Amino acid sequence: MTAPIRTLDDRIRPSDTPDSPLDTQEYFINMGPQHPATHGVLRLMLKLDGETIREVIPVLGYIHRGIEKMGEAMTYRQFVHLTDRIDYLSALVNNWVVARGVEVATGTETNDRIEYIRTIFAEIERIQSHMLWWGVLGMDLGAFTPFLYGFRDRETLTDIFEETIGCRLTMNYIQPGGVMHDLHPNFVKRTKAALAYSKSKLHEYEELLSGNVILQERTRDVGILSAEDAVALGVTGPPLRASGVAYDLRKVEPYGVYDRVDFRTAVGSVGDCWDRYWVRVEEMRQSIHIVEQLIDNIPEGKTMLMKPAKKIVIPEGVYYNQMETARGILGMVLVSDGTSDKPYRIHLRSPNFNNLWALDAMSRGGRLGDLVANVSSLDLVVPDIDR
Amino acid sequence: MNVFGSGPGIERRVNVANNDVDVIVAPRGSSRPPGIISWFRSVAIAIRSLLTGMRVTAGYLFGRDKVVTQQYPENRETLEMNERFRGRLKLTHDDNGYMNCNGCKFCEIACPNQSIIIKDRRNPVNDKSELDQFIWRLDTCTFCNACIQVCPHDALEWGQDFEGAVYDRRLLVYTLNSYAGPQARLIERAIKKDEQPEELKATIEPRSRYGTGVPLAGDELPGVPALGGEDKEST
Amino acid sequence: MSAAIVLLTLAERAAASLEVGIWGTAAWLAVAIVAAIGSMSLLGMALVLIERKVAARFQSRLGPMRVGPHGLFQTVADSIKLLIKEDIIPEQADRILFFLAPTFSLIATLLALVIVPVSPTLHLVDLNIGVVFFAAVSGFGVLGILLGGWSSNNKWSLLGAMRAGAQFISYELSLTLCLIVAVLFAGSLQLSEVVASQADGWWIWRGHVVTIVAFVVFIIASTAELNRPPFDLPEAESELTGGFHTEFSGLRFAFFFLAEFINMFVASALAATLFLGGWMPFQVGGWDTFNSVMAIIPGPIWFAGKVAVIIFISMWVRWTFPRLRVDQLMRLEWKFLLPIGIANVLIAAVIILSGLYFFPVGN
Repeated sequence: MTAPIRTLDDRIRPSDTPDSPLDTQEYFINMGPQHPATHGVLRLMLKLDGETIREVIPVLGYIHRGIEKMGEAMTYRQFVHLTDRIDYLSALVNNWVVARGVEVATGTETNDRIEYIRTIFAEIERIQSHMLWWGVLGMDLGAFTPFLYGFRDRETLTDIFEETIGCRLTMNYIQPGGVMHDLHPNFVKRTKAALAYSKSKLHEYEELLSGNVILQERTRDVGILSAEDAVALGVTGPPLRASGVAYDLRKVEPYGVYDRVDFRTAVGSVGDCWDRYWVRVEEMRQSIHIVEQLIDNIPEGKTMLMKPAKKIVIPEGVYYNQMETARGILGMVLVSDGTSDKPYRIHLRSPNFNNLWALDAMSRGGRLGDLVANVSSLDLVVPDIDR
Repeated sequence: MNVFGSGPGIERRVNVANNDVDVIVAPRGSSRPPGIISWFRSVAIAIRSLLTGMRVTAGYLFGRDKVVTQQYPENRETLEMNERFRGRLKLTHDDNGYMNCNGCKFCEIACPNQSIIIKDRRNPVNDKSELDQFIWRLDTCTFCNACIQVCPHDALEWGQDFEGAVYDRRLLVYTLNSYAGPQARLIERAIKKDEQPEELKATIEPRSRYGTGVPLAGDELPGVPALGGEDKEST
Repeated sequence: MSAAIVLLTLAERAAASLEVGIWGTAAWLAVAIVAAIGSMSLLGMALVLIERKVAARFQSRLGPMRVGPHGLFQTVADSIKLLIKEDIIPEQADRILFFLAPTFSLIATLLALVIVPVSPTLHLVDLNIGVVFFAAVSGFGVLGILLGGWSSNNKWSLLGAMRAGAQFISYELSLTLCLIVAVLFAGSLQLSEVVASQADGWWIWRGHVVTIVAFVVFIIASTAELNRPPFDLPEAESELTGGFHTEFSGLRFAFFFLAEFINMFVASALAATLFLGGWMPFQVGGWDTFNSVMAIIPGPIWFAGKVAVIIFISMWVRWTFPRLRVDQLMRLEWKFLLPIGIANVLIAAVIILSGLYFFPVGN
């Protein structure tokens, strides 16, 4: 990646020699911020030649809420609830990043029960996030039915959250020193039932969409992102693994109880939309497998080791902590001045922000329809990009 | 053209960052061998894949009890929320109807959004600080449970009521307590030790949901007339 | 305009047959117009409701349930809403073309609708070149879409319109080739005669594999002509935000919408007429009792049943498959359907010249 830095003005200037045999002109079109395929308020400036994409320029800032700045005015415990709202489909992992950061910084040891509960919930959330993605990908490619199937099956998993936590989406559950509630008595039974249901539905997904010739045609060899580009652009999560780099923090730097469970990292070989699709579908299966191993062995113990009303003061220093959300690596940089119970500075390395910039590399030369497939296969959550 | 079809991945072991990682590689299918027969075969596979998808949707059309839609206002009677569901914030009361809150402001401090505003007053009988008004702003609340988590007296809980929609956002600011006065524990102790319990009870004053002093509770704003009538009075 | 001419002809014919004067003609004209508008919007509304209900069941939902029993009047309410909605014309739009576009679309549909033979008596216009007429007016429909996309002055709309143009021109070929197969078998361009020629058995049974292939290709090509998924590239909500009708609202949008759904009906009706025997009952050679029972069921019901089956398949496909990409759509047409169509016509000609009809029924 040694390309010269170009300003926006440079980028929106039409190229002088379009490599088309016809006498065609390039034109610009704004995809978003209100567009059905950008899932929120992402704006993509497209340089098009007919239907062929010459360049994709993401424009950000439409849902910037300054969450990192807001964090400086909040205690660590209060900041957790804001992280629900960056990548709302991985709310629990976001919570966990803050919680683990604070625990490491203060030297708090958590017990096994807490780690089991956190891991189980993180994996259930990964499944529900991928289910939603699966449905949305179907809708982006023009099949509306998978969208509703995905949402329907996700409900059984959010029901698990609602039973134990009380919320379905923005949960504020995993906190420094433990988790907010103990498990609901019905948790194990309900989770097992939901996993069995999800398994049967995954088979249905294969039949409805994965094997479908139209989906295969739409995704195979579309939006290829090479492993070198993926690493250079800082792409993480399923898109990185689909490019053939088996880098999964759950394996490489295990946290929680991931080092005690058996699962496989799903990787691709080419890095096209199909690989990204398949990696996510396989991750759902692996996550179900992980939860199945843990669900019967949750040890006893306390679920909250810090007094909720007690001040948390972190020793002075800079702390970094990262985890694998459903979309990639979420990292948190925490700077503490050592006196206040509030962070001096918080920075989040959000997976979607880095993944977004791979869009240009993978979409060039493709059609407009391919761009939609690429956006969908990256599984972007726009509030996570802007924060 | 590849021969279509999704399938199980290929299991392999690779080395990533000095770790041996078990991976499972996405299936790519095999490229179609040349020849007209394999062309027809790939077309047949393609058509079969389409029919498989159609079988799935037809299973839902003709299958019984496949509808998952809940008819919401109709099923209101039978609708049961989970016991931990975070609906509307409520103050808990003891068996005699006295609230457990003593206005200690733990929740106000814990609240990340300043959604809770506690106004205290001093009780003339026992000269203790007690709750005057517990103002809860539903419009800024994020239902993060922090207030309930820190409450030392278990004076707060979530209600199951989720129908909080109103036509004017000024109506989303509530006074939660139905009376201003000492907490249940103090009244109990006063009765037990016979320390002027009747006088203590006499200091109780009623508070309404949109009572005085609640910011934005239907009051007149520049350019916005005050909300009057039944909505404001109802509790 | 053309629609008015057709309606005038209709009224004239009705008046002539009843031997009434000028006032009688005027009265019949009024009846014809009201009947045309009423039946068209009723047909459109019914189709939209059925589509929504069927789609809902495919997706384990209930569909519209609020307006009337089981949402029966939902589309009526929607129509009223569309009628009274604000009519927004973009500032930079070409106003005249913007006004004309939905009208063209609807007129093309109307014109195609009048030639549909519902039963021997309920056949508005029995043109002697009915099949050619259908091919002609269904090609006219794209003009509305092209104008709509152009006049909205919106790049998404323009992209949709250009896609529509390419798609229509391509798939018109396959469509016409399939019509030719049916015409070759029937030996007539007149739709009533096409139906009559199937008294001995529907062409889909009698034409060996040829008519089955033609029928399937006709369904695929007409789905593409109608912009229905999986060929809805001109609209392609997730790509083009609605394509050619992005900027249309209220009544103009309703025109496009109505045209699309009635087109679906017309295409299904044509498929039923050409390949499934129109209003002819289902008969099996030798089973006289069965045949007489089948013949009791009136023609319009047979016709409606056949159309319903085809429309249901169209919905089934729509709610199952993802959308194709532009180049894949073109590839499907030029590399698969068109060669198949041409080969099919040649084989059909050979079959007809050598008189190799399949199990003639009745005689």
